[in-house]
Amino acid sequence: MNEKQAPILVVDDEPEMCWIMENIIRRTGFTCRTATSASEAISLTKSNQFGMAFLDAKLPDIDGLDLARKLRKTNAHLPIVIVSGYFYQDDPTIEGVLREGLIAAFVGKPFDHDEIVSVITRHARR
Amino acid sequence: MEDKTLKATGRDLSGRYEQLYAMLLDAIPSSVLLIDQNMCIVSANRNFLEKGRRTLANTIGYRLEEVFPTVILDQMDITKRIHQVIEKNQPAKGERMTYRAPGVPIRIYYYSILPFTWQGQVEGAVLLMDDVTEQVRLSEEVRQVERHLASIVESASDLVLSTDKKGRILTWNAAAERLSGYLAEEAREHHFTDFCTDEDRKDIRNIFSRIDTRKHAQMKECPLRTAKGTSIPVSWVFSPMKDSSNQTLGIVAVGRDLTEQRKLEMELHQSQKFAALGVMAGGIAHEIRNPLTICSSSAQFLMEEDGTPEFRLECVEKIHKGIQRTSAIIENLLKYSHPSTTTRTTLVNLASLIRETMTLVTYHAKILKIEMISSFPKEPVMVQGVATLLQQVFMNLFLNAINAMPDGGRLGIDVKTDRSEVRVQVTDTGCGISPREIGKIFDPFYTTSIVGQGTGLGLSLCYSIVKQHRGTIEAESVEGRGSVFTVTLPARFSGGEP
Repeated sequence: MNEKQAPILVVDDEPEMCWIMENIIRRTGFTCRTATSASEAISLTKSNQFGMAFLDAKLPDIDGLDLARKLRKTNAHLPIVIVSGYFYQDDPTIEGVLREGLIAAFVGKPFDHDEIVSVITRHARR
Repeated sequence: MEDKTLKATGRDLSGRYEQLYAMLLDAIPSSVLLIDQNMCIVSANRNFLEKGRRTLANTIGYRLEEVFPTVILDQMDITKRIHQVIEKNQPAKGERMTYRAPGVPIRIYYYSILPFTWQGQVEGAVLLMDDVTEQVRLSEEVRQVERHLASIVESASDLVLSTDKKGRILTWNAAAERLSGYLAEEAREHHFTDFCTDEDRKDIRNIFSRIDTRKHAQMKECPLRTAKGTSIPVSWVFSPMKDSSNQTLGIVAVGRDLTEQRKLEMELHQSQKFAALGVMAGGIAHEIRNPLTICSSSAQFLMEEDGTPEFRLECVEKIHKGIQRTSAIIENLLKYSHPSTTTRTTLVNLASLIRETMTLVTYHAKILKIEMISSFPKEPVMVQGVATLLQQVFMNLFLNAINAMPDGGRLGIDVKTDRSEVRVQVTDTGCGISPREIGKIFDPFYTTSIVGQGTGLGLSLCYSIVKQHRGTIEAESVEGRGSVFTVTLPARFSGGEP
């Protein structure tokens, strides 16, 4: 395991979801930091460099996509993935932000772990 | 001199009387003929001549059959009757006679024949004829109006009854027979309250006892018990029945069968529910997919072979919890979407009903970042009502409040109760309603929603449901600040009577 590898950020208000993501990410050799709100996530990015971010679409304070825009402002190259049960794969909103380049991928809930693993393999900055 | 004067006075007097009687004869509205024993006309008054379009010259001295149409004389046997009167010196009872003179419309007469005696001898007969055409026509009209009124009452599809002041049935129309299964004769032996359910009797007695002190008709919805043992929903209007001196003689009750209307309302309520579910679908899907993801991922972890026994146990527990959570959401939805087939009221715990409804909208509120704050009294909040309908009232109010806050906000639900009533306030911090619009919000189909996003029936349904539960619903709003909807319902205690 490369000690210098940047950790992956997981933002989901559901602690169980964070537990799942943590377990999958750990298996890929990455480390993980979790936040249950957008504000917590923003403060984490201020003091940490992340290799990737998994965001839930619906967070208690602001929407996942709004959080993505905020993160993008301070970190132009951070790969962002939306993981959500609210949107669906060919949802016009999702298609729009994918085209725009705001997010690197979308994973709908529930998902196969392989899907998360492949997204990490493809997008995480090492 | 004295004698002469007296004689002259006597002559004067008899002359005067003659003139007076002649005048009277001509003035009365009856036709009078004096007929001698040979059936010749001795005298005829002005009325007879005018009615028959005759003159004295072609009447006096003529025989009866020359003056009267033969048809009438034969048909009514007048000649024979006059003979009988003269022979027996006894008047003949009056009878009706129809007489048509040339060129005048048909007239109806009531005639009588009196013997005319002079110095003990029967000299002839007086034929007295009263024109009753107008009276006959009027009484025929009265009968026609009566028949018309009766047929209105009998043909009405509404129940039309009358009772005496105490509520004993006097009349019972065909619709009442058809709907109740009781014939008018059977109903007549009963009191109106015999056809009511036990819980309505007291109210009906109150209405009846105070009916003549009230200015307006009294209205009440109360089911009618039928001969089959079932009951049908009826909306009644009770009015006092007054005589010409404004004394109350009894009560008129007009009732409309609400069965069909209830069925339509039911369908409307059901489609409203589905519309509400549609609005909440996104939130519900999101809410179900979370526990599903936990189950799915835990199962995937279990499939890996290298998990520690503790980790595997954790996964199993999470699957179990996830399924319970999903199942609870589905149960709530099922309960809500299940069509309600009854309009029968029961004792409802309003606090738990409101809590359940809040759970249903939580998913929707959560994704819109709406905080829900509620407060309930410690004691149970009981009302008499139809639970599914009441739930719809609060569902509509909650969803409206949420819709008013697309950028998040606070949804307040405050339940208070005292001995007589329950008050539920639903407060939002949303866009508010303009003073121009607030007067129309309870109107059916009034909506400010974009086409396809609202039916405009939500609040009008709330209004009718709350009214049906003898409650009130009020709205207050400050544009740009938010709205408060207050529903007040009569409180009931589990003990029974309020």
